[in-house]
Amino acid sequence: MLIGIDVGGTFTDGVLFGEQTVLATVKQPTDDRDLKNTLLKVLDELLKERGGQEINRIVLSTTLVTNLLATERGDRTALLILPGPGLPLETYRIFADTYFLKGSIDFRGRELEVIDRGEVIKALEAINALGIKKIAVVGKFSNRNNKQEQEVSDIIQDRYPEIQVAIGSETAGQLNFLRRIVTTYYSAMTRSAWEEFVEAIKKALVARKINATVDILKADGGTMPLLLSNTKPCETVFSGPAASTMGAVALTMEACNSVVIDIGGTTSDITLLIDGHPLYASKGARIQGHYTHINAFSVRSIPMGGDSPLTIENGNISVESRRRGVAACFGGQSPTVTDVFNHKYHLEIGNLAQSTEILSEMCGKNNMDKNGLCQAVEDIVIERLQTTITEMFKEWENEPAYRVWEVVHGRRFDVQEIIGIGAASASIVPVLARRMQVAYRIPVHAEVANALGACVARPTLALKLHIDTQNGYYTIDQEGLRGSIPLGKSMQMQDARDLAQVHLLKMAQERGMERYAADAECYLEEQFNVIRGWNTAGKIFDVGVQISPGFIEEYQGVRK
Amino acid sequence: MKKTAIIFFPAFDWAISPTHPEREERLLYTRDQIFEEGIMDLPQIKEYKPRMAEHKDIARVHFCVPDINAQITEAHLISAGSSLVIADAVMNGEVDNGFALVRPPGHHSMTVAHGNRGFCNINNEAIMVEYLRKKYGLRKIAIVDTDVHHGDGTQEIFWHDPDVLFISFHQDGRTLYPGTGYIEELGGPLAYGSTINIPLQPRTTDVGIHHILDNLVMPILDEFKPELVINSAGQDNHFSDPLANMSFTAQGYAVLNTKLAPDIAVLEGGYSVETALPYVNMGIIMAMAGIDYSNLREPDYSPARIKESPGNMEYINKLIKIQLANFRQREDKIAQNRIEHQKMYKYHKKIYYDTDGINEEQSTQLCMCGKCAGYRIIDSSARARWEMNRVLCISVPTYGCPECQAEAQRVYAEMKNSRNNFSYIYLQDRINDVYRSLEPARSLETVL
Repeated sequence: MLIGIDVGGTFTDGVLFGEQTVLATVKQPTDDRDLKNTLLKVLDELLKERGGQEINRIVLSTTLVTNLLATERGDRTALLILPGPGLPLETYRIFADTYFLKGSIDFRGRELEVIDRGEVIKALEAINALGIKKIAVVGKFSNRNNKQEQEVSDIIQDRYPEIQVAIGSETAGQLNFLRRIVTTYYSAMTRSAWEEFVEAIKKALVARKINATVDILKADGGTMPLLLSNTKPCETVFSGPAASTMGAVALTMEACNSVVIDIGGTTSDITLLIDGHPLYASKGARIQGHYTHINAFSVRSIPMGGDSPLTIENGNISVESRRRGVAACFGGQSPTVTDVFNHKYHLEIGNLAQSTEILSEMCGKNNMDKNGLCQAVEDIVIERLQTTITEMFKEWENEPAYRVWEVVHGRRFDVQEIIGIGAASASIVPVLARRMQVAYRIPVHAEVANALGACVARPTLALKLHIDTQNGYYTIDQEGLRGSIPLGKSMQMQDARDLAQVHLLKMAQERGMERYAADAECYLEEQFNVIRGWNTAGKIFDVGVQISPGFIEEYQGVRK
Repeated sequence: MKKTAIIFFPAFDWAISPTHPEREERLLYTRDQIFEEGIMDLPQIKEYKPRMAEHKDIARVHFCVPDINAQITEAHLISAGSSLVIADAVMNGEVDNGFALVRPPGHHSMTVAHGNRGFCNINNEAIMVEYLRKKYGLRKIAIVDTDVHHGDGTQEIFWHDPDVLFISFHQDGRTLYPGTGYIEELGGPLAYGSTINIPLQPRTTDVGIHHILDNLVMPILDEFKPELVINSAGQDNHFSDPLANMSFTAQGYAVLNTKLAPDIAVLEGGYSVETALPYVNMGIIMAMAGIDYSNLREPDYSPARIKESPGNMEYINKLIKIQLANFRQREDKIAQNRIEHQKMYKYHKKIYYDTDGINEEQSTQLCMCGKCAGYRIIDSSARARWEMNRVLCISVPTYGCPECQAEAQRVYAEMKNSRNNFSYIYLQDRINDVYRSLEPARSLETVL
């Protein structure tokens, strides 16, 4: 049997899944100060009638790192940056305790300026004097050559072995120095807290005699093993929306263009599926206003949900974003969006009469017609959702393109279906779909789609290989991997593809996910002849392979 | 801080030929540099998606022989279209300025296009100028061509247009392709002085060019008062360029763009793909967005090695004096030309297409109109290896007068109804925005 638990901002959801059936579901309010205990409470609830031995796999999605970053409660971390020439240094002074060092690498991985040992030592003395125990070392183009990052790291390890170091090329090897700095810094900052969480979970499982594989859900909708998550705590940010989206896909399993809309009490999250595949944020997850190298779904959140209260001021109707409590039909004190849809469409949510009564009361006080009020609120809600959805379509259609082929074959998002999940979607999504003139679906178990999504998500893995035959090397954007290519070796695209596959398989084996390696697909293939004079001096390849988000083999859909 | 629009279109799947300077690799390292810097993530920068220009956008400028499809690939439409996206973003006020970092380039393409000249088929800047006029009603526009090669295509297209100020500085034509761009080339009889050439000695440095900018280009721009300034931004004045011999630096290019403050820049040439382009392109973007570029330097940069010679400064000062005078007497000169020349001003010239090996002969007749820039009739014959095309091109200026328009339409109608030996006859009616093409042998007319 499988367990999925999604620790969200307000609620923590859990499902127990086996034999293609949802066997149990749990919903608990989240205790922000003790996520671990909230999580274990849900786990114990799910295990109530089962023994821990029956569980084969547990997947956890948690807001731990998201919360740490949002509240800036991570460990104080120093940044050693090797910027080389380019943008002004101020651009990279994003965080406190930032030190700039000499040293520079160019786009071909050539060393342009060596590091200054004395300068590094001076910076380290200053950092040590401040009592800082975490350092992130990040160099521009370190993804093409990590020699200088390694040299600085070696000096740190040599002089201050107690300091924990994260280096850019190992944490985030894609092009984009700015995002590499942010990602590496955040990783260093949250690592201890994450390790502590991992230890606590391990202990709790032993105590419950659970001998299952434990995986962590990432922002890209895939999982990673708990035991390998220590170096990449940041990948767990925004796993909540990823869990919901994967849940929607799991519950529908259709290869069409759809809008997934998760309407909860206070917020609505919207994601897009293209041919059934979730759309990624083109610039990576954005944390605290900074772009990162963390692969995440493209999510738009609107501060509006079923519990959003209505107000009327001088005859102007508005939907507030601050939640005051549950809807009147569930005993709340003020009229909400849910009450409006409940009354207007006789949905029999909670106590329908209470919805009607509180709306009548509001209309009476403001001398307003009830039907008019309901129509106005519906218009506000639907328009807000629809505007956001249209913006997302446009944004995707207008993504920059770098090839003739991409521009000639423009993009158009033709939506075929709206999938509603979350507690309040059943009342709102049908109206939205009618307005947009598309089909909709509210799948069974839509209310725990997030936990189910986590439960059945499979591991993901992606790597990008950069080969430079003229300079005789290759680098991989994961874990600082690199190797040499014999000079003068003639390489074709197929050789590059094979090399990428070899590394993907090796990494998959290390993660115990080799059975998914056969599903790996090439998402990027670029090849350039390096011409000097009128002759070919070498070739440059960029090849990307990935095991994209999907479901574990055991999952074949939910039996009705 | 300024908000700057960028379209980066490296055309990674297009080349003239595999080892040609204009090949896939050209903007590869520029891609690496600007993406690694993370400049697209900065709040000052807004990246736009390229689009394809429409055939009509091209017909507004060029007479493509026999038709537009014969002269372009999809890459050309995207390169031209991207400039139009940037133009729209600037005109709509979404941004303060914009840079179309695109290939293929266009500044050697002339009005009549029989083939590829100097790596160019259609002229991106000219297409943008006519688009800006048609869509936004702009009239006075300045183009400053900062490519090391003379922008002979752009010069030819606006030769008779007094409302487009074309300034080109370039390595002296006696030492470099295309071998034109002398100070005597000042524009047609009704547009005298709105073409200004600044031929420079090989090895001219940042100091030399900034001196010219301060003392010639900027004063002329101030007096001309254009509604929009375009930088036709070649990057081959760089000291490392393999096809030219100048001594500019990335810093030099950045300062140039700060001083010039173009509303729109469009990439032209530049073939030092590793040592110059990544840094020069960064410099242009940073200058346009108002980002401090003091930390920008290319690897081989050594200020001590690059010194301006006193002899060259003397030459530059002389050139400034001559061109200022030429520019300032333009109105008198035009008035004089109107009196001196007959109703139709005629001239003859030869054009060579280096890339495609085509020889073209042109006879042009310009109406010496008293009210507008005058309509034009170009009789053009081109001989490629195995074929010969003779075409007649009739062009009405965008801000032409009704008489010139009527006369041009009459000439076209007359030709249509007469027996003649032209392969094609074209009418470019920019007032009505209608473009006709006639193949007399088959009596086939197409209208855009």
